Amino acid sequence: MSDLEHEKQGPIAQDTNEQAMMPLTRRTILTGAAATAAAAVGSVGAQAAPLTPNQQTDKQLDLFLELSAVLTGVAKAKLAPGVDPIKIKLEYFAQAKKEHAFAQLLDLFSRNRNAPNVGDIICNKSEPNVRFLARSVMLMWYLGAWYDPKDLRRLADSQKPEDEKVFPVIISPKAYTQGWVWRVAQTHPMGASEWTFGHWANKPPTLDSFIKSA
Amino acid sequence: MCADKTFDPDVVIVGSGVAGALIAKQLGLAGRKVLMLEAGAEMPADVDEYMNRFFMASAKVPEIPYTPDLFTNRKLTDPKTVNAGRPTVLSLDKDNWLKPEESYLIQDGKKVPFGSTYERINGGTVRHWLGTSLRFVPNDFEMHKRYGRFVDWPLRYDSDDKNISLKAWYAEAEKEIGVSADVKDQQHLGITFDQKYPMPAIPLSLVDTSISDGIADLKHDDILLQVRSTPAGRNSQPYQNRRACAGNTNCIPICPIQAKYDPSVTLADALRTGNVKILYRTVANEVVVDVNGRVREIKYIQYKEDKGPATGRDSVSAKVYVLAANAIETPRLLLMSMGRKGVANSSGLVGKNLMDHPLYLAWALMPEGKPVYPYRGPLSTAGIEDLRDGKFRSERAAFRIEIGNEGWNFPIGDPNTTTLDFINGINISHLNDGPRGQALFGHDLVTKLNSVLTRQFRLGFLVEQSPDESNQVTLSNKFTDRLGLPRPQITYDLSDYTKKGMAEAKRVATLIFDRLGATEFTKARPNDPSQFEWPVGSGQRIDFYGSGHIVGTYRMGTDRSNSVVNADQRSWDHDNLYLVGSGTFPTVATANPTLTLAALSLRTAEKINQALTLR
Repeated sequence: MSDLEHEKQGPIAQDTNEQAMMPLTRRTILTGAAATAAAAVGSVGAQAAPLTPNQQTDKQLDLFLELSAVLTGVAKAKLAPGVDPIKIKLEYFAQAKKEHAFAQLLDLFSRNRNAPNVGDIICNKSEPNVRFLARSVMLMWYLGAWYDPKDLRRLADSQKPEDEKVFPVIISPKAYTQGWVWRVAQTHPMGASEWTFGHWANKPPTLDSFIKSA
Repeated sequence: MCADKTFDPDVVIVGSGVAGALIAKQLGLAGRKVLMLEAGAEMPADVDEYMNRFFMASAKVPEIPYTPDLFTNRKLTDPKTVNAGRPTVLSLDKDNWLKPEESYLIQDGKKVPFGSTYERINGGTVRHWLGTSLRFVPNDFEMHKRYGRFVDWPLRYDSDDKNISLKAWYAEAEKEIGVSADVKDQQHLGITFDQKYPMPAIPLSLVDTSISDGIADLKHDDILLQVRSTPAGRNSQPYQNRRACAGNTNCIPICPIQAKYDPSVTLADALRTGNVKILYRTVANEVVVDVNGRVREIKYIQYKEDKGPATGRDSVSAKVYVLAANAIETPRLLLMSMGRKGVANSSGLVGKNLMDHPLYLAWALMPEGKPVYPYRGPLSTAGIEDLRDGKFRSERAAFRIEIGNEGWNFPIGDPNTTTLDFINGINISHLNDGPRGQALFGHDLVTKLNSVLTRQFRLGFLVEQSPDESNQVTLSNKFTDRLGLPRPQITYDLSDYTKKGMAEAKRVATLIFDRLGATEFTKARPNDPSQFEWPVGSGQRIDFYGSGHIVGTYRMGTDRSNSVVNADQRSWDHDNLYLVGSGTFPTVATANPTLTLAALSLRTAEKINQALTLR
């Protein structure tokens, strides 16, 4: 796809899978940096056709984001800002939904969302199908890659996990650049700096400024 | 098949990497007609295609943006199906290096693996270089005279005889590449300067300054260890119409904004002279010598698809021929020529003395509460250069120390490995001291990851390998590429001289970590053949990596019996044939080779231009 065709299509594809296949262009990177600015002037993305006609799906998505915030430790408003031209949440939601245990995972969360140890219930105390899916979801937000829950289970059960081969799949170029591990390390993704010359000589912004909502 | 038969070149250059590109540009500017033959693909319209491949790759190895067909169904591509094959990090790993159906280089497993890679693409391997642009120290050119080891170069760093002095050519190379550095930081170990660098130094990272502060006054063998800014082919201000570095921490494999020099810059300049043409996907397969001992033509094969059939065969003639195809592909071409009798090889040294900088990698964690905020800035901005020269070189290899800004990305693939550990309750990184099987999540996960990732750092020790004739490139008798050309066969080992240097590197790493109060995590990779026992019988193993610095296989020297080319990089056997690139280095020294090979290339361009004038 040429840049021009991409322009015509606009920044948001209707189909999240198609979006995942989109080549990364400078625009995609800039979208990240400019999200806040775009919000101020009214973004094209915010006015695009709704992506989720089904209200049930909306509810599920919201629950998924709430769960994601609990698991990742990153504020929901940071994972998925109200005005969100990047919309990585849709790619991740579509990815997680493919798993059989997804409904079970959301159900377990919705039943325990007010429990003080809800994260532990989900990541460590739930049955393996749910537990390893929850870990896949966390890794997806952190690394922009999908680790098959079955692979995670095999790794966790292995006496020598370092000898096990796993094949994480980067979900999209955009997913790589949106990985939260970089922000948690108070930096930018390798290959996608949003900062300028010489920043590395000084301390980065605080951890809270990366992961907490204002 | 030559695209344009009306283009009658004065010079044919095989290879469009940094050496070939620099020579093409200089000769093009001088009005010479130059035809370049590049085995690999042309440049994409913009870097997005390269960047997409990089972003989507789960293993972000140096070759990843440039080699689209590395895998089919999670298996490596069989090199016999590829027209312009090449070694890759993944094909050289412990599970693949001995499998000819996965590894382009043929190795027999009797010695240690040769672990370095190169590109066959427009711009060559310097596409994925780090940017380090150190000059050699004067004694590097005189290992025999100063230390009774190996051979001297036919050139010197600085000499009253300007014809053998490289100093001014280093300055020229720094201008062409666009090197950022301050002279005051670089005047040491006898290196002197007549002019400034084109751009000021790149600022040190917090990793660098933390190490510098932490090891103040630290000595090894009475030599003071000091952190110095590393000269870099990266812009500290706009230069050559390119941006200043934004600290993408991604010099290898690719700078997304081209603040790092790569040879496409020079190739574009060369093409703009109007005198230079490039044929892509054009593999030189024979250097033909006439009865008078002069090269008469170069034969080549063309293809359209990486794994498609040959689409044409032809040859091209010129007055002068330059082979600039790196220190494995150049000897391969020479050896396969004239019915495998070989060309330019009356010395018998073509393909011999293969060297690299075997790299000792050491990593550690700064103390709690002392973050250094890695994963920012260029991959490396400083090093410790004080052990590059000294009396010890009569006994053991010297080395330089590169300080990494990319945490434990190189050693263990972080931040991914550590993230996976804490989220899945395993401990591949050795950082997860929590209960096995228990996932961290939420606030605890953030706090833990932040605490360890911001304290990671690594040191890389580039060890001077001795030139040994038994380390060599020959032709495989059995395995070919898609074009039916024999693949390179490599025999490679480390001498005791080199191993002693690596052992010293290991000691110095621990010395530095101890002084910093850092916790060392260096581990030899389990069951990996890229290691050796040292001292012999101790049971202790030292792990090493390739540096991608492929050197020595058509060395320069003072006469035809001890070398393949003279100081001008002209073949002793064929006076219209030049062999350029780091293959001409008689010794590898400790500096990353690009700047020196660029200086030699610029010098050779002038010699070729003079030779053409005299004809």
